[in-house]
Amino acid sequence: MSHRRLLAWGGAALLIVGALVWAAWPSGGPQTAADRAHELATEIRCPDCEALSVADSSSSSAQAIRADLARRTKEGESDAEIRSVYVARYGVSILLKPQSSGLGIVVWGLPVLAFALGAAGLALALARWRRQPRLHATDADEELVDGVRSG
Amino acid sequence: MRHPARWATLAVGVVVACLAVLLASQVNTNPTADEQNHLVGKQIPSFTARTFNGQTVSAASLEGKAVLVNFWNSWCIPCQEELPALKAFEQEHAGDPTVELVGVLRDDTTQAARPYAAAEGMTWDLVNDASGNLSLDFGTRGQPETYAISPAGVVVGTEFGPASTHDLDTLLAAARTRS
Repeated sequence: MSHRRLLAWGGAALLIVGALVWAAWPSGGPQTAADRAHELATEIRCPDCEALSVADSSSSSAQAIRADLARRTKEGESDAEIRSVYVARYGVSILLKPQSSGLGIVVWGLPVLAFALGAAGLALALARWRRQPRLHATDADEELVDGVRSG
Repeated sequence: MRHPARWATLAVGVVVACLAVLLASQVNTNPTADEQNHLVGKQIPSFTARTFNGQTVSAASLEGKAVLVNFWNSWCIPCQEELPALKAFEQEHAGDPTVELVGVLRDDTTQAARPYAAAEGMTWDLVNDASGNLSLDFGTRGQPETYAISPAGVVVGTEFGPASTHDLDTLLAAARTRS
């Protein structure tokens, strides 16, 4: 592989890794209890509603859950502890964000798998194209073409 | 490996087929269907509430009785459909001090529910869960929902949606058998 090509591949890899790190990096400073309560409210489904979060619903149960989340975060319960309380009370379907276990792995893993398979397929195709010999016209070929052209 | 492209295509095909089978097996399944109420087999949450008539009802005051706690409100149609069964139940057990029916008003106002209850002849204890905390502690998902509680204060059965007379009798029998 030439130096320029190596540099191009390295640059592309650096760009991808940089983008992933930037996306995964936690943003902002330490969250307040109210911020955490609001964030949890966006993750918890309103029990009365079909697919609406507690943060978006105005039902009485959503209001009660919002107050409960505010109280729990203020008392210092961790996000995981609070989620587990609601999962124990309503089951896993109360969480709008899929868990990183069970069938939830498929949801998280599928895009990664699709990306990996796509990258592997692309690399394979590129390698294959590069392996194909470049054809050169022989004297006989040139003669044949010249013959056709001259009519 | 002689034909890497073919193997790669085959691998992708197998993965896609496996995912299709996995997702197809989940179609038409209700994720909440198998989730039993968290309270079944546990003590009812501690609570104290004032009835429409100004009396106090609490978890402690219900001890020693077979209790049905019914979450309802005045605007919900299934609750209205359930009402004849609740009235029949109350009528049948009105003179029995070991049986209690408690209606918990959920997602409604006393102002709207009180005249409705009077007009419909709801003579059992009715309390308003204005804060929503009691509904939250019971883990209710809507109304109507009915919970059977044994004399020891343990939740022994639930009915989601409008309960029939038969459902209420079944819940009461469960509450009576578990002391």
